[in-house]
Amino acid sequence: MTALLSIRDLTVTYRRDGGEVAALKDISLDIAAGERLAVIGESGSGKSTLALAVAGLLPASARVDGKIDWPGLGHTPLGGRDIGFVFQDPSASLDPVMPVGKQIAEVAYTHLGLGWPQAYAKARTLLERVRLPDPDAALHAFPHQLSGGQKQRVAIAAAIAAGPKLLIADEATSALDTIVQAEIVALVRQLVAADGMTLLFISHDIALAAELAERIAVFRYGGLIEIGAARQIVSAPRHAYTSSLLDAHLGLDAEPLSLQAGTPT
Amino acid sequence: MSSPLLSVSGLTKRYRRGVKIIAAVDDVSFHIETGETLALAGPSGSGKSTIARLVLRLVEPDAGRIRFEGEDFLALGGAALRSRRARLQMVFQDPLAAFNPRATVARVLDDPLRVHGIASRQERPRRIAALLERVGLTPDLAPRAIHEISGGQRQRVAIARAIATKPSLIVFDEAVSALDLSVRGQILRLLLDLQREERIAYLFISHDLGVISAIAHRVVILDAGTIAESGNARAVIDAPQSAIGKALVAATPRLNRTRP
Amino acid sequence: MNPLRRFLRVPEARAGVVILAALLAMALSASLFFPGDPQAIAGPALLPPFKDWSLPLGTDRLGRDVLAELFHGARTSLAVGIAAAAAALVIGAIIGTLAGFAGGLIDELLMRTTDAFQTVPSFLLALAFVSVVGPSLGVVVAAIALGAWTGPARVARAEVLSIRERDFVAGARVTGMHPLEIAFREILPNALPPVLALSSVIVAAAILTEAALSFLGLGDPNRVTWGGMIAEGRAVLRTAPFLSIIPGIALVLTVLGVYLAGEGVVETTAVRRSLS
Ligand SMILES: Nc1ncnc2c1ncn2[C@@H]1O[C@H](COP(=O)(O)OP(=O)(O)OP(=O)(O)O)[C@@H](O)[C@H]1O
Ligand SMILES: Nc1ncnc2c1ncn2[C@@H]1O[C@H](COP(=O)(O)OP(=O)(O)OP(=O)(O)O)[C@@H](O)[C@H]1O
Ligand SMILES: [Mg+2]
Ligand SMILES: [Mg+2]
Repeated sequence: MTALLSIRDLTVTYRRDGGEVAALKDISLDIAAGERLAVIGESGSGKSTLALAVAGLLPASARVDGKIDWPGLGHTPLGGRDIGFVFQDPSASLDPVMPVGKQIAEVAYTHLGLGWPQAYAKARTLLERVRLPDPDAALHAFPHQLSGGQKQRVAIAAAIAAGPKLLIADEATSALDTIVQAEIVALVRQLVAADGMTLLFISHDIALAAELAERIAVFRYGGLIEIGAARQIVSAPRHAYTSSLLDAHLGLDAEPLSLQAGTPT
Repeated sequence: MSSPLLSVSGLTKRYRRGVKIIAAVDDVSFHIETGETLALAGPSGSGKSTIARLVLRLVEPDAGRIRFEGEDFLALGGAALRSRRARLQMVFQDPLAAFNPRATVARVLDDPLRVHGIASRQERPRRIAALLERVGLTPDLAPRAIHEISGGQRQRVAIARAIATKPSLIVFDEAVSALDLSVRGQILRLLLDLQREERIAYLFISHDLGVISAIAHRVVILDAGTIAESGNARAVIDAPQSAIGKALVAATPRLNRTRP
Repeated sequence: MNPLRRFLRVPEARAGVVILAALLAMALSASLFFPGDPQAIAGPALLPPFKDWSLPLGTDRLGRDVLAELFHGARTSLAVGIAAAAAALVIGAIIGTLAGFAGGLIDELLMRTTDAFQTVPSFLLALAFVSVVGPSLGVVVAAIALGAWTGPARVARAEVLSIRERDFVAGARVTGMHPLEIAFREILPNALPPVLALSSVIVAAAILTEAALSFLGLGDPNRVTWGGMIAEGRAVLRTAPFLSIIPGIALVLTVLGVYLAGEGVVETTAVRRSLS
């Protein structure tokens, strides 16, 4: 297995109000080229910080120790070209006053060296690939004219426009309803497979992570609790914290809580 | 048989969007019995929150009837409506947005006790402490500002505010969606405890069928403002009949734990 | 960092604060340094400034001490400016909140009234009011507030319109709170910051209006005012221009100080917003 990137002893500290917050503590992990890795954990466990560190997008207030190497790339990555990023809130990553076609074309224009006509043609193809209904009309649509799920599709199109090696999705489906979420997840899975991309999928939903990813990394309080194959994490977790997360999950088959034995209050 | 706690019939609410008029809620009827949990599920925009707001008289329906505790709830107004609000409470999705940004925990809980004359000024601090304890918080949280406590604590305060007036029905609009799994479990157990002890009925809005099957007795599945299907929660989730019900079930991620 | 320190790091704010502090010191120390009646005769008439060190800024046509008048005038200017602005902000905030929160007919009624007040130039309004009721300090304050409350009312209404859609207002309604309590206890405090941001402009305008009224002889006749001093000096503008220039400079500095301090406040709050 060749590692696309390898993280060694990564510690990230935010300075805030004079104090310091250690958001990641001594993280070491490899992400193999072409794999789908999910990072799960509760709020504040450092998931987004990891994603930002990998993408080189940490704010200036963050201090980074340790290192991130890119043996699978051979050079330091360039955000936007080598790494695509999809955030939870698509409205925040899309420019509200620019037609979405132009936003996607701009990525292709900047990173692929295409002329504007080719960049627009590429944008149209991408909108088709993310299965936006009526891609020709969508090229000229503004973000506010699209639904949440449609905006997220546009954000994905922009993220993959330059053909990145790594796609990072940070809670990219959390704001969507279950049905749209399933569609977006299926789309991501298909795009990643077709382009041979590596996926870093960040979520607090353990079931969603297990459905999409091959491997799962569990974070808590900025530390890596355990990492392993999705199947192993789900059916044979090594760590008590992972078990408690699994127990807290309520699936379709959840027994009514009132019937569950020994419910402490 | 006595009449249900809440019964809603033919409820309709239209909104204008641009030049079009859309029915956010279109001829919806359902009822809730005392001490029962009815869940509302459905995709985004199907009208769940609008129903919650209609039932609470936060917006007025274009058509339909709402009977609550044997009264025509839509006929009430002014002081009569305000006093009846004690019996019908709500917990919002975003617990930070649901409180005045300048409020403290104590003030949030003081308001219902004062407004409904439930406790005298001297007695209120004691009542507030008791409410906090009832929802699993320590009374020393009272002087804190709302933005100085965690999301899970805030949602507990929201529940404490809702039960302060001893309601018979509480509406939860995605009230556990933003919470961490472990916190969510605790809050759901708290809700079940309260229901068991005080016989409070819940109208529980969620897009998460897992949560619904864990807490609801019955479920109503909405699609584009109309009821697609309804029935026993277990039965509907195990064998949905409507297209949207099937889609919701199919889209819910599954955790295949092969237990040792 | 605490807000005051951040405020004082803005250069405009520092300049504004220095000017306003000097002005305040003048106003507060007026009866200390010049205990007698500032309108009493203190020396020979039309003594130019910097001639006699017991009368550093000279005397006017009637031989009154210009410096003493300046100090006591600062009192009137500040008192009227601040009182009128406070009255305008309170009236504006209340009317704007009621209009925005009630909506419908009440909103329509209040906003048409606001329009009506806004179309009449505020100085004319003040002029008419004082001429009808008669000049006294209270009347002057009321007259100025009458023309100045519309801005705060509009800002407050716009803010209230957006706040009333927030969940916490729905929460207050569910709690069963009376609408007036919701409007004034829940919404108004949250709508205040942008309204208060107008205060520097309003104070500055109020000070100028007061000076203009006094200049036209419609100020409180029992008080020294800078406007009145300028009017006094007008008669001898050719021979003793300093009588008009000195209070004029005081007026300009005051307005500048208020404006700079206001800019400082806007700047600090803007910085804070971009940080959070
Ligand atoms: N820009 C920042 N400045 C200061 N502290 C920060 C910053 N960003 C994150 N933190 C802190 O770092 C810790 C980890 O945050 P992070 O956003 O990585 O968590 P997360 O796992 O993504 O949480 P969530 O599920 O809520 O998105 C938290 O304690 C958070 O408060
Ligand atoms: N105040 C309003 N003005 C105009 N349209 C509205 C208003 N409130 C809701 N709608 C529309 O009514 C429909 C139903 O909205 P509602 O908020 O009830 O959906 P929901 O089921 O709660 O969705 P979600 O799961 O996203 O919260 C949507 O199409 C929405 O755009
Ligand atoms: Mg995050
Ligand atoms: Mg909703």
